[in-house]
Amino acid sequence: MKTIGLISANYISKMFGELLDNRSLASLPYGGRYRLIDFALSNMANSGITTVGVISPYDSGSLIDHIGVGAPWGLDRKNGGLFVMPGSAYGLQSAGSRFLLRDILKNRIFIDRDDADYVIMEGSTDVWNIDFRPLIEQHSKSDNPVTMVYKKVPRGEDYSGYFLDIDENGMVKDITSEGHAWSNYFADCFIIDREYLSEFIDSFETLEYMDMVQIIKNNPGAIDIDTYEFKGYLGKIKNPTDFLKVSQAMTDYDFRNEIFCNPERPIYTKAQDEAPVFHLPDADVRNSVVSAGCTIEGRVENSIIFRSVNIAKGAVVKNSIIMMHGDIGEGAVIDNVIADKYVTISDGVKIYGGDREPVVLGKNKTL
Amino acid sequence: MKKKKCIAMLLAGGQGSRLGRLTTNIAKPAVSFGGKYRIVDFGLSNCANSGIDTVGILVQYKPLVLNKYVGTGESWDLAVEDGGVHILPPYAGEKGGEWYEGTADAIYHNIDFIDMYDPENVLILSGDHIYKMDYNLMLQEHLKKNADLTVSVIEVPWEEASRFGIMSTDDKDRITKFSEKPKKPDSNLASMGIYIFKWKALRKALLEDHDAENTSHDFGKDLIPKMLAEKKKLFVYRFEGYWRDVGTVKSYYDSQMDLMDNVENINVFSGDMKVLSNSNMYPPQFIGPDANVKDSLICNGCTVYGSVKHSIVGSGAVIGKGAVVEDSIVLPNAIVGRNCVIKNTIVNEGAVTEDNLTIGGADEEISVYGRAKLSI
Repeated sequence: MKTIGLISANYISKMFGELLDNRSLASLPYGGRYRLIDFALSNMANSGITTVGVISPYDSGSLIDHIGVGAPWGLDRKNGGLFVMPGSAYGLQSAGSRFLLRDILKNRIFIDRDDADYVIMEGSTDVWNIDFRPLIEQHSKSDNPVTMVYKKVPRGEDYSGYFLDIDENGMVKDITSEGHAWSNYFADCFIIDREYLSEFIDSFETLEYMDMVQIIKNNPGAIDIDTYEFKGYLGKIKNPTDFLKVSQAMTDYDFRNEIFCNPERPIYTKAQDEAPVFHLPDADVRNSVVSAGCTIEGRVENSIIFRSVNIAKGAVVKNSIIMMHGDIGEGAVIDNVIADKYVTISDGVKIYGGDREPVVLGKNKTL
Repeated sequence: MKKKKCIAMLLAGGQGSRLGRLTTNIAKPAVSFGGKYRIVDFGLSNCANSGIDTVGILVQYKPLVLNKYVGTGESWDLAVEDGGVHILPPYAGEKGGEWYEGTADAIYHNIDFIDMYDPENVLILSGDHIYKMDYNLMLQEHLKKNADLTVSVIEVPWEEASRFGIMSTDDKDRITKFSEKPKKPDSNLASMGIYIFKWKALRKALLEDHDAENTSHDFGKDLIPKMLAEKKKLFVYRFEGYWRDVGTVKSYYDSQMDLMDNVENINVFSGDMKVLSNSNMYPPQFIGPDANVKDSLICNGCTVYGSVKHSIVGSGAVIGKGAVVEDSIVLPNAIVGRNCVIKNTIVNEGAVTEDNLTIGGADEEISVYGRAKLSI
């Protein structure tokens, strides 16, 4: 039951403003030291999948810099390993693009030359920690060529995307964009027979501008699709408000335990090598996540502080995300702010955002 | 193969018995330091920062953690073609095997290894010193003086000189006398246990020392006096800066506290001669809603619910709710239970304290709590 993985990192969204000016959503820094794609790659690695393709986005610099040759995920291998492949949607802006058929067609050699039985297709922007082995096991026992992964979610605006209408045998009846009271939210992930995938992309070649899930959605009943329920945490990040919320989830004990502290399935990321955090005598950090290399003299509450950030005396950082190399000056106050890398807040400057609408400060900005 | 100007041999086989429980099941160079580092990081980082890309690490005493930690040397950018890091344990030959009997003997047993690289010079290092040093500057002086041996020395206060191996020199820094822990020192230049030898000269001395009688096969006690007696060209290299031998619990504690109390002495925060480490993949630290952390170093992977003052908390350690940790060092993956009061204590790596425990007092000497429970 050999399985290979294909991660689509070709996600573009206009919802993030300056945060995605020069990077893909997949390489958005998250949680103090990670990038969103770390979850997709770690899920593959922790499930024993050693051949993984990543379809790269148009702005691929930060992503490629981050994943390199895949060493942190054990993917720098002779046999299999990491394949970073070009995306096809050159400069295309489409929030819905996940598994664009054209991306897969362009890189079909990745699928055709392998002898694997199955391909797991995974998005790259969800915060989750899933073991794919039970999914592979279930799929291998089923006669259906596709098994889609979903999570039961309460109705709410936080879950925009596709929902699965599932019959009593666990088969997909329909795919919709609307959720009901409790809905089966498609987790941007499915497993498909490799040979079937090859046939699929051939037969729908004329629809290459479409998303695979869209094609399936438009052809109800044409494909037998099984389902697999994921019961863990699934953090969707579709806008800065989500991003702040899913980031602050890191201050929750159960969240940290499930996502980051499972000894069987650690989340790997590019290794940095920074000194321990120096909490100076006036520091006062509460309910926050702080990454290595920071020097803290001020107050920090309910915030996520990335590596090598300085927070000066008398500064107050609340409900915020400060990315790498941020510099918060003396007496500065920031609340509900997402500050990208190398943002400098000068002494005494005060910035307040709303919890439903955080203020986003782009890279290298000085205020 | 490219010809090597200088390769390093790092002595990492000693037990470090004066560190007591800290080295019960781990070699001294692998003992945790400063929360996220291990002692050997300083020597390896110095090599990397000095452009020395070939390092033999001589291991003997309980090397398992050390072997895994050093790995291919990749963490120090030392995993290179035509060089790299080599772990060198004692090995058997036609006539059976022998343990390393002393510092010089350890190198003697690896003459074949050094010959494989055929370097012009060999740098001998100890795996248990805390310092930042550019060995290349020392090598330049060694070459300029065409020395057979250059010994790195540091000026120590006169009143402490009798605790060290003291080098007496002439006005051109040529060594005239070496006295191990002299009662009445006539110099305050202490040997740092860092040597650069011409490989040819060292090779010859090692072979002769091996066959000699009444030798303990030690660089300081035997090799250097022998070369001095043979009127070889021995010079000192004067190192100025921070250097500590962390041989005792007290010195081990003090030099870690220096990381935050005297940042200018040994700056692990600066990118200059950066101290590299093979840090595990921990998530960032979490500081809880009621935590109170002041004047402390806290590492990735830590979870702090209690109060931490003037202390170092190592990677992955947990400080329970209501606990008070002061003037202490909590080594990696240790768990300090709820409402514990810990003062002037080093909590061993992976050790777990029960809830409501009081360990150490403000006026007590530094002690080590618990037995290390190591994981890789």
